[in-house]
Amino acid sequence: MLNKLSNQPLIRVWAQLLSVVHPWLIKTLGRDRLEYFASNTVNELTQRIDPFIWTYGCKVKVIAIRQETADTKTFVLLPNQHFSTPIAGQHIELTSIGPDHDANRCYTLSEITVDTVSITVKLNPEGEVSPWLHHQAEVGMVFDSSLARGKFVHRDQDKVLFICAGSGITPAFSMINNLLAQSDKSSASAIGLFYRAQTPDNTIFSKHLVKLESAHKNVKIELSYSRLPVDIVTPSFIDQLSAAYPDIKQQHVYLCGPELFRNDVIQYLESVDFDLNNLDVEQFTLPVSSNQQVGIDGGNNRSNLKGDVSVTLKAQNINFVIPASDCNKTLLEAAEEQGIVMEHGCRSGMCGSCKTNLVSGEVSGNQIGRSIYPCSAYPASNYIVLE
Amino acid sequence: MNQPASNPSGTVDDYEEIHQAFEQIKQKYRADLGEKDIRYIKKIRRNSRIFEVIGRSLIHILPGPFALVGVPFLFLHRNLEAIEIGHNVLHGQYDSFDEIPQFHAKNFRWKAPVDETSWRQEHNAVHHVHTNVYEKDPDLNHGFLRVNSQVPHTKLHYFQVPIYLFLFYPFMLYNFNAQNLGVVDKFRKKYFPEGNKGYAVVDEALRLSKAEGQKRHKRAVRRVWAKEYVFFPLLALLSGFGAIKVFLANLLVDVINSYWIALTIQATHFTEPLQPEDAIKNKGKWYVSQLDSSVNFKGNRWQSILWGHLNYQVEHHLFPDIPAHRYPDIAVDVQAVCKQYNLPYKCNDSWRAAIKKFVGAMWTYSFKNPAVPIKTAFLDKAAYIDKEAANAK
Repeated sequence: MLNKLSNQPLIRVWAQLLSVVHPWLIKTLGRDRLEYFASNTVNELTQRIDPFIWTYGCKVKVIAIRQETADTKTFVLLPNQHFSTPIAGQHIELTSIGPDHDANRCYTLSEITVDTVSITVKLNPEGEVSPWLHHQAEVGMVFDSSLARGKFVHRDQDKVLFICAGSGITPAFSMINNLLAQSDKSSASAIGLFYRAQTPDNTIFSKHLVKLESAHKNVKIELSYSRLPVDIVTPSFIDQLSAAYPDIKQQHVYLCGPELFRNDVIQYLESVDFDLNNLDVEQFTLPVSSNQQVGIDGGNNRSNLKGDVSVTLKAQNINFVIPASDCNKTLLEAAEEQGIVMEHGCRSGMCGSCKTNLVSGEVSGNQIGRSIYPCSAYPASNYIVLE
Repeated sequence: MNQPASNPSGTVDDYEEIHQAFEQIKQKYRADLGEKDIRYIKKIRRNSRIFEVIGRSLIHILPGPFALVGVPFLFLHRNLEAIEIGHNVLHGQYDSFDEIPQFHAKNFRWKAPVDETSWRQEHNAVHHVHTNVYEKDPDLNHGFLRVNSQVPHTKLHYFQVPIYLFLFYPFMLYNFNAQNLGVVDKFRKKYFPEGNKGYAVVDEALRLSKAEGQKRHKRAVRRVWAKEYVFFPLLALLSGFGAIKVFLANLLVDVINSYWIALTIQATHFTEPLQPEDAIKNKGKWYVSQLDSSVNFKGNRWQSILWGHLNYQVEHHLFPDIPAHRYPDIAVDVQAVCKQYNLPYKCNDSWRAAIKKFVGAMWTYSFKNPAVPIKTAFLDKAAYIDKEAANAK
């Protein structure tokens, strides 16, 4: 039925028109004003006219797809007004992707502009989602998205070195571009990038990287390859790293890549007495799919919960961890322990000011269906997402 | 247990029993939430839309004073949206239903000139928690109102009845923002000899930043003005009908709606007795303090919808986030508990009687030392168990 409808010429023309109107709206009005307009005009009719703007959720629309290398594609996404401007290095979680539109994956933003964000995805032939994105996803598709989050962001250090491998280039690429875009810092800071790819053909953003290095004197880029033809003798990448950046101990290192690669680099850093306080490592802790959750049935058996609890507040875009020792506290108290302010009133489950909805995970105590009262509900699973 | 629980000799155990009794009612109605509530709120929204179309068309088309025929319809629309839908939805009464995201407190936008976020912080998290608590409940004596003898008297209070009835109530909805923005606090600080003594002031820590609050307030007002006083008058002008007529009719609806809401909410809170600050620390005590500071007035189901079920203020204050259309049923259970524990259950015979009492209190306390010890007189007349309703079920 829906397919039939989408083939009707009128609907196609409408979709075409919207694809022009949406970027224009977000650029000229800005997300804040668009939110004001859309939230006050949303109803059953407007939701049908344009479900991208008149919606309660954060959505992104694919507006361009670029082939980066043979097995890497960049998807330029236009987020709707519920999105807020990300910080370079952060990631988003897409929650309605894959063949059944129910998979969720985190992607670091590789490019950030005023109105768009990009994700760069490497094809993993054995995976479920990346082949779908590479072969099925097309311009015009809309996905549900989280707001941008993550703490792997630049924090004003003067000398920085990004060490990355494979698709781990994405946060480094967006952070470097962001640093160079800030005019006051673009020449002041020293930026290093050590990037290990498989082959020159496989190097994501290779053309951009060459341009960056030639255009900016303070940028030093060193490329390293893991799968060159056997007749070329290459030094170990650790040797290459230490030769290229002898003053690594004076720099702040951002590390992102596959686990084995990360371990090798950390081992090297330890061996040269690098101060590990100057190291940021990107580790995705979020993509826990719903069937992997350690859920405990409701009731008051909260003492059964083992380990820390990761809590995400979607609307506030805050992510925090309740240490295992705090799991007998209410969600509100536990959040306050972490310095996080949640809306609340009576603190005893009477007034309903703190009421919010559970997106995934389990709580025990005061709740009605998926609506929970953080002031009198306790964590009952290790992974909780609240609206 | 025959002791009235509002009696200070009530022991902790009495309060625990009372707490459990009300908790049981709460759980009973929570368990029953479902399809019925979704149907109800959707039906109200549908009717509100129908009234809007009828009202706006009549006002648009009918010439001159005949356009007044459309005013009641448009009023029905604005009123349903403001209280039966808006107020109740913003309490999170429909949050637990996935099917209707448009009626979730955080998604909902009022068709009233009030910013939802600041209002929810003031109303849900302060007024409903500290009802009738001296210097804590901002709604007890909003603006410069003086309705109990603890509040210091100033010359302005001699004029509070006409000022409220003729100046403030016609624009009541617009006053909510002033309170949340702290405008009134500043006024009292500047012009009252004892400043904000006796009044609840905005708790800065709980509120939005000043700039954010002001931005939201402006937007909340502008969305109403843009629709009522720009878009529809302009539409009339462009289609060859009278723009001024539409403007005036919409203004009239705005004023009637504000007045209606003002009289509804003012008539359903007792201004005395003041409640202890620590009531919220004990759930049983808190339930009793809510009973003690709220008052119902009688009306049938249809009327109750137009009052946003706020004529069941007692039930609303006991269970603020249970869908309001259930209050008439809940009232029967609440009355039974009140009877059993000899708790106050206050109910006026009619809206008229309730308004009369409230305006009476306003008049009395406009004088520095009221001659009548109003406290007892005020309570004895109104405090009785609504036996008729209890027997009817």
